[in-house]
Amino acid sequence: MLLTDFQIAARNLATHTRRNLFLGGALAAVTGLLVLLGALTSGMESAMMESATTLMTGHVNVGGFFKITSSSTAPLVSEYPRVLEVVKANVPELDWATVRGRGWAKAVSEATSMDLVLVGVDVTKEPAFRRVLRIKQGRLEDLAQPNTLLLFEGQADRLKAKVNDVLTLSAPTDRGVNNTADVRVVAIAGNVGLLSAFSAIIQGDAVRQLYGLKTTTTGAIHLYLDDPRAAPAVASRLRAALAKAGWRVMDPDPQPYWMKLMQTVPSEDWTGQKLDVTTADEEMGQFKQFIAALRIVTWLLGVILMFVVVIGILNTLAIAIRERTREIGTLRAIGMQRRKVLWLFLLETALLGAGGAGAGALVAVGIAAALNAAHIALPEAAQIFLAQDRLTFLLEPGAILRTVLVLGGLTVAASIFPARRAARLKPVTAMHHIG
Amino acid sequence: MRLAAVVLLALVAPVPAAALGGTELAKVVREIDDRQRNQGDWKALCYMEQKEKDKTDVVYELLVFRRDQDDKQMFLFTKPKSEAGKGYLRIEKNLWLYDPSTGRWERRTERERIGGTNTRRGDLDESRLVEEFDAKWEADEKLGVYAVHRILLTSKPGVDVAFPVVRLWVDQTSFNILKRQELALSGRLMRTVYQPRWRKIFSPSKKADVWYPEEIRIFDEIEKGNSTLILIKDIDLRHLEANLFTKAWLESRSR
Repeated sequence: MLLTDFQIAARNLATHTRRNLFLGGALAAVTGLLVLLGALTSGMESAMMESATTLMTGHVNVGGFFKITSSSTAPLVSEYPRVLEVVKANVPELDWATVRGRGWAKAVSEATSMDLVLVGVDVTKEPAFRRVLRIKQGRLEDLAQPNTLLLFEGQADRLKAKVNDVLTLSAPTDRGVNNTADVRVVAIAGNVGLLSAFSAIIQGDAVRQLYGLKTTTTGAIHLYLDDPRAAPAVASRLRAALAKAGWRVMDPDPQPYWMKLMQTVPSEDWTGQKLDVTTADEEMGQFKQFIAALRIVTWLLGVILMFVVVIGILNTLAIAIRERTREIGTLRAIGMQRRKVLWLFLLETALLGAGGAGAGALVAVGIAAALNAAHIALPEAAQIFLAQDRLTFLLEPGAILRTVLVLGGLTVAASIFPARRAARLKPVTAMHHIG
Repeated sequence: MRLAAVVLLALVAPVPAAALGGTELAKVVREIDDRQRNQGDWKALCYMEQKEKDKTDVVYELLVFRRDQDDKQMFLFTKPKSEAGKGYLRIEKNLWLYDPSTGRWERRTERERIGGTNTRRGDLDESRLVEEFDAKWEADEKLGVYAVHRILLTSKPGVDVAFPVVRLWVDQTSFNILKRQELALSGRLMRTVYQPRWRKIFSPSKKADVWYPEEIRIFDEIEKGNSTLILIKDIDLRHLEANLFTKAWLESRSR
């Protein structure tokens, strides 16, 4: 019986080919556009989070600030081996941990200068770097040598620096005393979006030397968990454990450390050491907000397009019912129930919706796959906003299916009102209808 | 500009001289501080010109206020229009920056670059060499036409200064500092400062003359080609309003 209904609905659709092709095409275009926008946003988010959680933040971070006077603020964790012991004892979910220096300096080359956020690393203990960094010149391994630096392409271009060039880093120590360090560029890596616009990677001891720090002082301990989704719970547990062990721990504040360093902490009136436990989502708050805003814009665009589609469906079905009034009258006269008429009309639009949205999604997937395969390089300005150096669409089956179902469902919902009107027609009135 | 300063102070030629002994050296350093020290209030009109490679020159006009007995200091920018009303306030060894466009106060480090130039707060403050540095005589020599003492200053333990090592060329006759080299913790030369013109003004509170450099030329030795010129004009040593060194006073200037 259901198969017969499907056949009738499909024949009805085929009878009005031109009109239905137009409506189905509009649905396909909207679906395709939404799928492509969604895939682009997901691609950005994925690229950004992968590079961020490798280069800038762990799933959970134990950082902190040291204030010698209330007006001086340095992003430091003193006596970090003791902190690490507490961390290891309280985080059974820990996969691995790494210790990184944090800093800021003016980098001066022979040609020019620029401000850099410094990430101090022991590259021999950073297995994931090789996966994320695309070394264009030099060797990543050389970052293990004393006083060495890795720049990203954009920074190297701006500083007009090549591998083996020496840059002078100039920064105040935590006591505000000016200091310099000469570092050699050992590698230049491909840009990784916004992160590479301002961050450079430096050998860990060079950071300590620049800031005059002890070997037991670092910038932050980055923790990588077996399951990143456990990060908020782990962060909360660590705050309590570190406070119990005697450290002063800052209240949760969903801001990246550099915003606290520049804005919040210098205005606070305490001195000494405070630890700050954060999650990757908090450290990436600004980027997350950007992605959320982009998703909102995508959905707003989607809503506007859907509104247009709904109007189109209502209009098309109203015309269809007017054209098919005599047919509806005949069906009703030979005994078809109102519910059956309603069902046939809904089935027609469901088929139209599924076909249009499905075709749109397939075309979008094809376009995205072709663009991914073409490896289209993005200009530097676009790289910063799109968080990737090549145009990449991340096709998530779940998200695509959701878009198809939403648009298909909306098409069916939009057809309920005209379908009910059709079902309510009296057989005699309908059969006498001229038009 | 640098050439002019170098020409002015050029022709360095060593002159045979005996080393300054500990007592004499201490006396010279104390004399440098005393000549510049004013016991009352201080107000000056300053111009700061910042030259940076590949950038447009920027000139600021600002008023500098000091109340030395309380270690209070305030800079109020008056020009250009975009910076007018912006100011720094130093109270209780904290340096605050006020931005009238946002109405916000931000606490800044004491060694902040004032207005983004290579000027430090200390360049416009009274001299505190005795409190902050240990001195060592290096040589007596000629700097241009001037016979000078070359003195190496190293910051005292526990004292926070912008540059931990400073080398001075001090006029043997007037005890004015003619040239100053400032080194980073790493030993790298960061700034060379020339002070070719000195003026004096009678201070009623000190009951003696106060000396000040009318012109300060700062050369960035890290970013070669960048320099800052500071001109200090219209010194007024009359007593300033009691409530001047407050956030409210600075905020009221831009209302």
